[in-house]
Parts: sequence; structure tokens; C-alpha cells
Amino acid sequence: MSLMESYIHYLGSFGLILIGLYVVLVKSNLVKVIIGISLIDTGVNLFLISVGYIRMGTAPIFSRTAIAPEEMVDPVPQALVLTAIVIGVSVLGLALSVAIRLYGHYGTLDLRKIRDLKW
Amino acid sequence: MVSPIILIAVPLGLAFLTTLLGLLSEKLPKYVPAVAMAFNLVVSIRLLPRALQSPIVARTAGLSPPFSIHLVAGPLGMMLSVLISLVGLLIAIYAIGYMGKGPGSRYHALYLLLLAGATGVVLTGDLFNLFVFFEILCISSYALVGCRGDKPGIESAAKYLIQGAIGSSLALVGIGFLYGLFGTLSMADIASNIASVSPMAVFISMALLVTGFGVEGAIFPLNAWLPDAHSSAPSSISAILSGIAIKAGIYAVARIVFTVYGAEAILVFVAVVGLLTLLVGEMSAFSQSNIKRLLAYSSIGQVGLIVFALGLASVRGVEGALFLVVSHALAKALLFLSTGYMIYRAGSMEISSLHGMGRKMPVSSVCFTIAAFSLIGLPPFIGFPGKFMIISAALAKADTLFTVLIAIGLLGTVVEGAYFFRIVQGLYFKEAPEGAGTNPGEDVEAPLSALVPICVLAVAIVAVGVCPCVLTRYLGAAAADLLDKAAYIRHVLGV
Repeated sequence: MSLMESYIHYLGSFGLILIGLYVVLVKSNLVKVIIGISLIDTGVNLFLISVGYIRMGTAPIFSRTAIAPEEMVDPVPQALVLTAIVIGVSVLGLALSVAIRLYGHYGTLDLRKIRDLKW
Repeated sequence: MVSPIILIAVPLGLAFLTTLLGLLSEKLPKYVPAVAMAFNLVVSIRLLPRALQSPIVARTAGLSPPFSIHLVAGPLGMMLSVLISLVGLLIAIYAIGYMGKGPGSRYHALYLLLLAGATGVVLTGDLFNLFVFFEILCISSYALVGCRGDKPGIESAAKYLIQGAIGSSLALVGIGFLYGLFGTLSMADIASNIASVSPMAVFISMALLVTGFGVEGAIFPLNAWLPDAHSSAPSSISAILSGIAIKAGIYAVARIVFTVYGAEAILVFVAVVGLLTLLVGEMSAFSQSNIKRLLAYSSIGQVGLIVFALGLASVRGVEGALFLVVSHALAKALLFLSTGYMIYRAGSMEISSLHGMGRKMPVSSVCFTIAAFSLIGLPPFIGFPGKFMIISAALAKADTLFTVLIAIGLLGTVVEGAYFFRIVQGLYFKEAPEGAGTNPGEDVEAPLSALVPICVLAVAIVAVGVCPCVLTRYLGAAAADLLDKAAYIRHVLGV
């Protein structure tokens, strides 16, 4: 049980990544594919956070003098995740605007019907 | 003495300024990329001699590596930075006339962001920073592929974006893995401790990183996006994507495999994958009737040869690979730029519609021919010394496997020769197709703003081809920068 508890974050994050990959590979609606990319992003961010997480740890700020460095979570992955979220949002924004333009050209978001070029 | 940070900061800052300038005036933004790249070229050339002696380590936040994000402007990084700013400058001059009407200031801002990202990728010494610059490069190239908003452009942008986003996520998982193992993101620091963890962890993280960055590097089988993206983008963007963006991906993969991991064991695999990429690219290029798709597939072939040469892992092999990086960047940029106006005048991308262009547009056709011959590897053009170095490096391994592989690789070159000769024959010895010439202004040569960069590239290809020593004397230091892991760690960490 304790083994399960200490690895649960990793299981969750890789589960999300795999669900996202499945959605991207299987679904043919572009918006669903974009949702899949978003799921992958979320899974990756969760993974990065889990890397630096300590059970019952607090924020790395010396708010109380009694707090020991061992009780603090690693702040670097959190900074990474902040950057990764921003990057993910810009990719999603661009993807959605591309989807809108694609709908304007084809009148559909079904990737099976959008194949003027060789997919 | 200036710090290499301004090589990234100036294009990045000017990119945001460009959109503001676009509100003030219609004409100003298109000159900004050329100014920024001219500045970068001058600074890179001035920094190059110092970087050749020892890598310039730029600190941020007053902390020395490995505790902060740092740039490592080594011989290889500065050499590629010179190449990026040179090619970037020439394409920016070309775009002043070519992108005259249309997307406006957004195009020029995105173009600068792309170049800032590429420069950042080759100069950074921090793994997460590498990822961030890589994303700047990728996101701006997704947007640039679709920047005209036409049907094929948007479709290929969607395709490129989906594949690129998955690749980036994989790379980020790999980076998270490494941080979990080592608690640091400095490439030098990771490299110095890589032997202390289990081979399985090393393998998983490396597989994730190489796959992630390999998508942008167009290594087979991760290159399905490339032919569409390169053929649907405006010609100036195809040129920068083929010439620079792919090389940034290859650089990231090479830096990770050689410097961070020092993975000698997978290099045979790398060579075989490179050869597969070469064959797939050249075979597909041969059967194309669309000139820009053909050039895009030919880029895949050339990338395959570069990856093959990197997989040789000898100093000579890496030198040959780097030579080919430079020669392919120049030649492929020239091919896309010179076909840009030919396609514009002919109104079609079909190879048959370009027949007879040798008489209508003599300068563009001659330059196209020079670049095509250079890619095939004919002397006295720049492609010849590169291919020669790679072949002699493969033979110097004195290994039956590599001899067989390079023999198969040469077959790819024969195919390459066949399709390029066919196009050049069409340009000069075939009559123009029926119905052409009705369009007024069709017989006119490209404007001066396009001819200047085209001719400069052609002269550079011939000049370096005649006298390769101007390039080869930097290659030794650049190859050592990539291969000599211990020296890299020593320079960055100062131990």
C-alpha cells in the first residue's frame, strides 16, 4: 500500500499522458485531437511537479524560523511547470485558431475529410 | 566585450517592437529583421575568435554554473550562430520584396522569433532553456507555415502543430526524468554525473529526448510533417525552415547524444537511422512532380546524410557532418529562394511549368543550377568537400558495416543527381509549356531585392567550394566541442 501511495502521482501523470496520446492517435475530430494534446500537457506538468514533491512538504519560503530545508518541496520543477503551462497555452491557442481557419476552408473538422495534402 | 546574451535578446526584443512599429507604419516592419540579423552577424563574427580559444560562458543572476541558466557559446555554437544570422539576413532581405503584400508585421515578428529561438538553441547550456528556445522556434514556425491563411498552408500547419506538440511533450518528460535523477538542469553537470545512474534510466530519458527533438530534426520516421509544411509555406519560410530550423533539431539531438550522454553504443543505430532517412527522402523526392515538395524531400535526404555522418562518431565524420550542415543550409536556402519567383511568375509549382525558365529568368536559373549541383556534390561547389569528407570518414572506420552503409548512401546521391539533372535539363533545354507567356510581366527576372541575396548565396557556394579551407579550419574546434565531453564539462563548470 505504501508503495502504491508513493508512486501514485507518477501513475496518474503517465495515465494522463497515455490517455492523451490515445485521443490524439484515434480521434478524427481536430478539436478532440487538441483536447488530447491538452491532456498530454497536463500529464507532463503533473509529472514535473511530482518529481519535486515531498510528502507533507511546504513552500520553500522561510516564513517560520523553525522550518527545516528537508520539509520544503523543490521549487525548481514548479518554475519549470509555470513555463511549461505558458508554452502549452500558447500552443493550444495557436492550435484552436488553426482549427477555426481550417473550418472556414473546409466546413468540417473531420480530419478524414481534410486531405488535400497527403496525410 | 559583449556577452552572447545579446545575440538572443536583440532579435527577441525587436520581434515585439516590430508589431508595435506595424501599428505606426506599414513599411517599417519589413526592414527590422534585416537590421537585427545584420547586427547578429557582426556580433557573432566578432565573438567567434574568442569562442574558438575557449567557450564563452555567460552567467545569469550572478551565479556561476550549474546553479543558474547559462549560455555556453563554444566554437560550434558560435559557428552555427554565424550561419543562422547570415542565412537569416539574406532571407530577410529577400522577404522585403517577396512578402510585400499580405501578412505584414506579424510575418516579420514571427520570423525574428524563429531566429531568436534557433540562436538560443545553439547557444544554451541548460536543458530546460534548450526546451524553451526550441518551443519558441517551433511555435513561430507553426504560425509561419500557415501565415498566408490559404488552404494548404493551414492544413499543413495543423499537421505540423499536432506532431510538433507531441514531440515537445515527450522531450519535456525526458527533461523531467533527468531532473528527477540528477537534481540539475545544466547539461555539463548532468554529463559529469551520467555514469552514476542505472543504464535503464539513461536509456529511457535519452529515448524520450531524442524522439522529442528528432521530430523537428526530421529524422525518419518522425518526418511526416516536413514535405507538407515546407511545400505549403511561402518560399522565404521554406528556405529558413529547411536551412535553419531542421539544423536546430539536429543540433539538439547531437548535443544530447554526444555531450550529455556520451552514448557511444547507440551510434551504429544512429548511422542506420540516418541512412534510412537518406534513402526514404531521396526515393520520395525522385517521384515528385511539385518542385517545392521535391526540395522538401531532398532536405530529408540531406538530413539523413548528416545524421549518418554524426553516427560515425569519429572526428572526421563529425567534421564532415558540420560541413554538410553549412553547405546544405546555403544550398537549400538558395534553391527555395530562386524557385520562389520562378513559381510566382509561372503561377504553378509543377516542374513542367518551369520549363524554359533558363531564357526567361537567366540569373535565377543559373543560381538554381549552382545550388542543385552543389547538393549533388559536384566540384567545385560547396557540397563536394562535405560529401568527400563523409565518405573518407566512413572508409577510415575500416569496418565492413560502414563501408556497405556508405555504398548504399552513395546510391541515394545517384538518385539525387538524377532528379536534379532532370529539373536543370527542363530549365534550359525544354520549350515553355503551351499557354505560358500570356500573363504580362511573366518573362521578367526577379526584382533586385531578391537577386542580391540569391547572388550572394551563389557566390558563397562557389567560393567556399573552391577554397574549403576557410570553413574547415573552424571545423576541428567545432567537432571537438561536440565530441570532447570532458573539455566541455571543464570549461562550463570550471573544475
